[in-house]
Amino acid sequence: MRRSSAYIPVSTAAALLVTSSTLFFVFTCPWLVVNVSPVFPSCVGIVFLFVMANFIMATFMDAGVFPRANEDEDKDEDFRAPLYKNVEVRGVQVRMKWCASCHFYRPPRCSHCSVCDHCVEDFDHHCPWVNNCIGRRNYRFFFFFLFLLSLTLHMGGVFSGGLLYVLDHPENLWELHAAVTLAVMSVSALFFIPVLGLSCFHLVLVARGRTTNEQVTGKFQGGVNPFTRGCHQNVQFVLFSPITPRTQAHSYNSQALNVQIAASHSASFPSPRVPQLSPQILPDKSLEEVDAPDSKRLTCPPPLPPKPDPVLLKNHLAALEESLLQSRLALMPSGHNMNPLQTSESPGKVLYQVPRDQMGSRISPLVPQEHVSEPSLLQPENHANALTLNSRSLSLKHSSRRGSQRAEIPHASQSVLSGPTGSLSYDSLLHPAGVQPAFLPMDPGLSRGSVDMQRLPARNCSPVFMHINREPSPVRYDSLPKPLMSSIQERREPDDKDKPVQDGGIYDTPSRRSLPQDFRGLSSSRGPTPPAYGSREFLLSSAAYGYRSRSHLSSSSSSSLTRAPRTASSPLHFNRSLSPSIYQSLDRQSQLPPSTLPAPLPTSSYGPQKALAYIRGGEKPEPEL
Amino acid sequence: PADTFHNLQELHHSASLATKVFIQRDYSDSTICKFQTKFPAELDSRIERSLFEETVKTLNCYYGEAEKIGGQSYLEGCLACATAYIIFLCMETRYEKILKKISMYIQEQNEKIYAPRGLLLTDPIERGMRVVSFANTWDVFLSVGTTLKELCTIYKL
Repeated sequence: MRRSSAYIPVSTAAALLVTSSTLFFVFTCPWLVVNVSPVFPSCVGIVFLFVMANFIMATFMDAGVFPRANEDEDKDEDFRAPLYKNVEVRGVQVRMKWCASCHFYRPPRCSHCSVCDHCVEDFDHHCPWVNNCIGRRNYRFFFFFLFLLSLTLHMGGVFSGGLLYVLDHPENLWELHAAVTLAVMSVSALFFIPVLGLSCFHLVLVARGRTTNEQVTGKFQGGVNPFTRGCHQNVQFVLFSPITPRTQAHSYNSQALNVQIAASHSASFPSPRVPQLSPQILPDKSLEEVDAPDSKRLTCPPPLPPKPDPVLLKNHLAALEESLLQSRLALMPSGHNMNPLQTSESPGKVLYQVPRDQMGSRISPLVPQEHVSEPSLLQPENHANALTLNSRSLSLKHSSRRGSQRAEIPHASQSVLSGPTGSLSYDSLLHPAGVQPAFLPMDPGLSRGSVDMQRLPARNCSPVFMHINREPSPVRYDSLPKPLMSSIQERREPDDKDKPVQDGGIYDTPSRRSLPQDFRGLSSSRGPTPPAYGSREFLLSSAAYGYRSRSHLSSSSSSSLTRAPRTASSPLHFNRSLSPSIYQSLDRQSQLPPSTLPAPLPTSSYGPQKALAYIRGGEKPEPEL
Repeated sequence: PADTFHNLQELHHSASLATKVFIQRDYSDSTICKFQTKFPAELDSRIERSLFEETVKTLNCYYGEAEKIGGQSYLEGCLACATAYIIFLCMETRYEKILKKISMYIQEQNEKIYAPRGLLLTDPIERGMRVVSFANTWDVFLSVGTTLKELCTIYKL
């Protein structure tokens, strides 16, 4: 998911390291071996070997990435669940923030890296020179790399200086050698000061038991650090604690085993309960498609030119109606679903709209396949079989949560189960019977359908607004400007993708200048950003959003509307230090070009909105399996 | 087909969305891996409190032992450093060995204690060691059954 420009710093670092060292060994060391001592070059050689080993480990080792949470974990987190959860760590209250991209409350010291778009345990920072996050698992390698690198630089520089001093009588034979030595010396002198400074900084951090993230955001400036165990224990922890396993690799490996175990005990069930899923969960679960009416509200849908297939049209409208009904029921988005705009239970309904849109070109080949599968989907749907609907919508929701990429869209046509669009889960069960009969006798005329679709969003506008004004936001926010700015800032994050890379050099030095990047990279959690959450910010941000989407061709426009709004507008606990820099960074960001995610301008039609969100959801990178 | 099995797995995940119980991490002692032993109310009728607590406490013991900084971790650290980390390719770390023990333990607990009560304990490693979840075995079958039904519908069997 990283752009190729993200590889420039790491390539530069690796190239410089290898080239300079090789030149040193080839040109300078023979003379040193003879004239100074054979021990010295061999020491330098060994240190260089360790520097490279640590560099490679820091670059390629998983930093302690948390895999994204399944949707089933969201059960407890309905739309009224708070943005922050307090937990006590050694007597100190620590706030765990809800991560909208990863769908869990971030453990203490965990942070979401916007460059890599995942949450990292004990997040230190994202280092562009190794093009990797530095976290719990690879911090020691990074630290050793720095320390040994500075040591090497020191040695190389000092002794090369000595060499040149001795060679003050230039002989023809040595001219090349002297020149090369001079070049290597200047390179090492150039990098010695920053690397030494960074090494000292990290030495202090390790001794104090802090991460770069915590130091730079000033988390423990006034208070006490609950994660420190004393200098000696801290050093011991960093250097000698066992390396925790790669959790991403283990995800979903043993599901088959679980099924097997469950199957083997099928005879010992106490009682096969009637699936209580629908009645139990319907009241709790708020619908993710709540965001759908928001996007509709922003852009008044004009008449759609749907396919002249009545069956498909009916399905599409049924899904639409369901989503609208649910949006009225519970406006505040639960915010966990990536594709709340996909109200239909089948990808066919969304994809169906796609070819008509500006962005449909990529997906249009799939549409014919969708037509085939559509009629077959009708039967279970028209039965108003709660069970079937439930499972399908569950599966769709889940698969959408899994971040299926666009490449998975072909699968959608074959099987509705893998369709990455379904976001209706429980609320679809609420009105399956109620909705479908309303549409079955509908005249499948084109004009009627378009008129209906036109009316539906319009009708939905007022309930949406009403809902916003009625329900108090469960998210705490101190004042309007800050959350608004944070929501704006989070929305602009997709434009900001290249920013952490460009400013990475700044990041590595502990200065206030790095705070904006830090804020972007660490506090907000997502690549595609969520919209503002909470009533006032929501309105303002949505308004700003609509403007921005039209003017900037931003890919995040509808996608962020569809995403979890829970995290936006959070009271920033480091407001003090960051507010001036936030504004600076926001100004900078406002001039940034649109993000790299391709997105055509969202038109005012409703269908494209859904399809856009569908594609957006499809573009989310799939977690490693 | 391959995507069918994939769907099967996915449906299994989405099976018991309403009835899964999650045991969160206990962060009272900093970021060491420890799960809350507080008995959740949803399991009140399903399993005895003592059995549940014993399972969670044993898991906590396993993880505590895995993350302990002591003799073997020092040895592993120095050895790794000395061999320029090549040792990671050859040897399995202590943590990984204990993880295998944990998954065996969980499997055994499932077979002996939880599956007879219609519950399924999942390995926390699958969720990044953030939660331990108890799922309903009935929902597993439910999801499987409905998947098959839908697949039949789709493929017009």
